Amino acid sequence: MTGPALPSGVGLGWRPDIAGFVAELPGLGFTEVIAESVHLDHPSRHLLELRDRGVPVVPHGVRLSLGGAEPVADERVAHLAACAAALGAPLVSEHIAFVRAGGIEAGHLLPVPRTRAALKVLAANIRRTQDGLPVPLAVEPIAALFDWPDAEYEEGDFLTELVERTGVLLLLDVANVYANARNRGADPAALLDRVPLERVAYCHVAGGAESGGRYHDTHTAPVPAEVLDLIKELCARRGPPGLLLERDGHYPPAAELRAELDAIAAAAGLAAVT
Amino acid sequence: MTTPHEPIDAGLAAAQEALVRHMTAGGPLPPGFDADAVHAAAVAILRKRAGAAARAWPRLATAYGPGWTEAFTAWAAERPTRGSLHDAWDFALARRDALPPPAAWELALAETRWAYDGDAPPRRRTVAVRRVPGGYAVQVRGRTRVFGKARAGDRQTRPGNPSSHYGLDQ
Repeated sequence: MTGPALPSGVGLGWRPDIAGFVAELPGLGFTEVIAESVHLDHPSRHLLELRDRGVPVVPHGVRLSLGGAEPVADERVAHLAACAAALGAPLVSEHIAFVRAGGIEAGHLLPVPRTRAALKVLAANIRRTQDGLPVPLAVEPIAALFDWPDAEYEEGDFLTELVERTGVLLLLDVANVYANARNRGADPAALLDRVPLERVAYCHVAGGAESGGRYHDTHTAPVPAEVLDLIKELCARRGPPGLLLERDGHYPPAAELRAELDAIAAAAGLAAVT
Repeated sequence: MTTPHEPIDAGLAAAQEALVRHMTAGGPLPPGFDADAVHAAAVAILRKRAGAAARAWPRLATAYGPGWTEAFTAWAAERPTRGSLHDAWDFALARRDALPPPAAWELALAETRWAYDGDAPPRRRTVAVRRVPGGYAVQVRGRTRVFGKARAGDRQTRPGNPSSHYGLDQ
């Protein structure tokens, strides 16, 4: 692959509530910012300082709706491209999901059917996005509590086909893999043998919570041991990718957050960043 | 805003719209889905919206205490989101006459800064006067002062700011 190197080491998702903590991590490998929260006319000083320190900053979109049956909006692609340019990003990431339909916002990422029709739409939208970006695109399979009926592909085959059609990179969320497998009574490590791991640009890691008999990927709890074990499984199959901790609320004391980052580094055999 | 486009796949567009209508607007469950699993996902989205609305309008949510999530999700269950700022503002407008005082305060201050008709995106006001619990709030060119018996701590309140919250959900 050409262009700036892909993210490596251990990262932490940049959020305004923990901007100071992120900035002070001495060994921070990279960070990620929610693209729709970036104001291009006055981007966060913290983010620009990280960029100037040489810490890769990845714009992570949440509202593009790559899996929606309508073409992605040009202005949303343009915003992602402008974020990448302003932050000197090595790549941009988004989701294999749709977030609106018929003019109605779903309020979150929803799964797409694993069908030939959905694959065709996703591939078209990914190509349209790639054409508008100055850097590569990575797409993230989501955690979903339900599936569409009448699937024509297993998840691993669906992702492999998508990568082959578009050349897109993958953002593998280890916690999503765990959550989906747990909620379906499946083995999370099995998916690792079905996806093209060499196309994984970096990974997400997060904690969640059990509620109503289902595991929810809330990003508001410590990373469970099972997710750390899955990082070990992944790193036994390929060199450790960049691993980014996502935390979106209930921020713990700094010492606990540092311990979370250290546990991720230890699981992957990477140097601690704290 | 978003340019309208013809769907790439009309059948998939209709299927996605039916699912979103079921999850956010009280539409029927499309055939073949696991009703309990889809319901769990819809509830998770409502709770996430409640959290985002609370961050956009913290005094509104705080005024409801531990009952915020239940109060908000009951109101929002069949109202699709238009962003967390709209969610909080629309909730406050729907309960205008029954808001706890700190929440009434936040609504009044928001209305001194922004003109909002419950539909179009809020527009910044250059000047406005609103009654708040215990006094009046006067806003001129973005600076708000409160006159009357209102408590000093309340004067620091900055209501939800559309420039940072409008239309955003993570």
